[in-house]
Amino acid sequence: MGASKLSGMQKQVLSLYRGFLRAARSKPTEDRKRIEMIVSTEFRHNSKEVDRKNFQYIEYLLRLGTKQLDQLKSPDIVSLSSVKVVASKT
Amino acid sequence: MAFGLIGRVVGTKPSRLSTAARLIPARWTSTGSEAQSKASSGGGGENLKTFQIYRWNPDNPGKPELQDYKIDLKDCGPMVLDALIKIKNEMDPSLTFRRSCREGICGSCAMNIDGCNGLACLTKIECGSKETTITPLPHMFVIKDLVVDMTNFYNQYKSIEPWLKRKTPASVPGKEILQSKKDRAKLDGMYECILCACCSTSCPSYWWNPESYLGPAALLHANRWISDSRDEYTKERLEAIDDEFKLYRCHTILNCARACPKGLNPGKQITHIKQLQQSG
Repeated sequence: MGASKLSGMQKQVLSLYRGFLRAARSKPTEDRKRIEMIVSTEFRHNSKEVDRKNFQYIEYLLRLGTKQLDQLKSPDIVSLSSVKVVASKT
Repeated sequence: MAFGLIGRVVGTKPSRLSTAARLIPARWTSTGSEAQSKASSGGGGENLKTFQIYRWNPDNPGKPELQDYKIDLKDCGPMVLDALIKIKNEMDPSLTFRRSCREGICGSCAMNIDGCNGLACLTKIECGSKETTITPLPHMFVIKDLVVDMTNFYNQYKSIEPWLKRKTPASVPGKEILQSKKDRAKLDGMYECILCACCSTSCPSYWWNPESYLGPAALLHANRWISDSRDEYTKERLEAIDDEFKLYRCHTILNCARACPKGLNPGKQITHIKQLQQSG
């Protein structure tokens, strides 16, 4: 298994991830796969890139994720899509 | 605000009005160039003022910092919002803040200036060489730089059901519900609220219980609907907020009345609700 005892923040992240996967289950199959793919890539990328002690940023991402999850839960929303943006330094 | 500009460069004002109809990007640059051309023709000598502004970028997240910017007050408008726009135009385009009407009616530019909450478009830049510190509204989650997350605040406003509720239909169907001048006067001091959140974010009680305490702004609006003579759900409204946390976290600290940029007194309205609860 993972860490022996998960901190409160880690539990929040995991419950957000579970929430996304549950919301994905209520959507049509094709969109469901796309949602699962996007969400899992995002979470895995952040878990590697973000410093474990950067609480402010992690809380910011949690709030952002919760808002997006609330939007996704609505029955009118069909699917998620993502665009890769390369930030230019101009 | 218009009176303060009479003594200053009058040339900038017409240009602002003419560019108001154009796209926002054009408006940013025209104000800056106009001000600069006027300043070069003015007298010599600079009047530099340092602004320390809270910066935090979610795209490059690190620790939030106070960044210094020097502004020449001779070619800048009198209000803090003018300084922020000048910094964004000329020095650092990545500075992020909310703004809309620039006349103190929309409530978008609410922020903490030198320790006091207020609207940037209504707060004059203090003369003198002291540094001005600009930070976002206290104890609110920061989205970027001076922009804060207002969703909790708006949800609390929504929760008091700020619309007219009636049990009986109007006496003349299709026409407005009549109200005497005296009854309308009861709403003065409450309807002017622009939901800028300056009062709620200045209340220490709201800092410690933001999710359960409604805050001065929402309670002011609750009183606005309770006092409205046309509304027939007064008893239900009073019962809905008759809660240990929703209403009675208020300990009449009265920071709200001090912070309100429109000069309203939310503390007084909360006391009125408490009195109604007592007698009802």
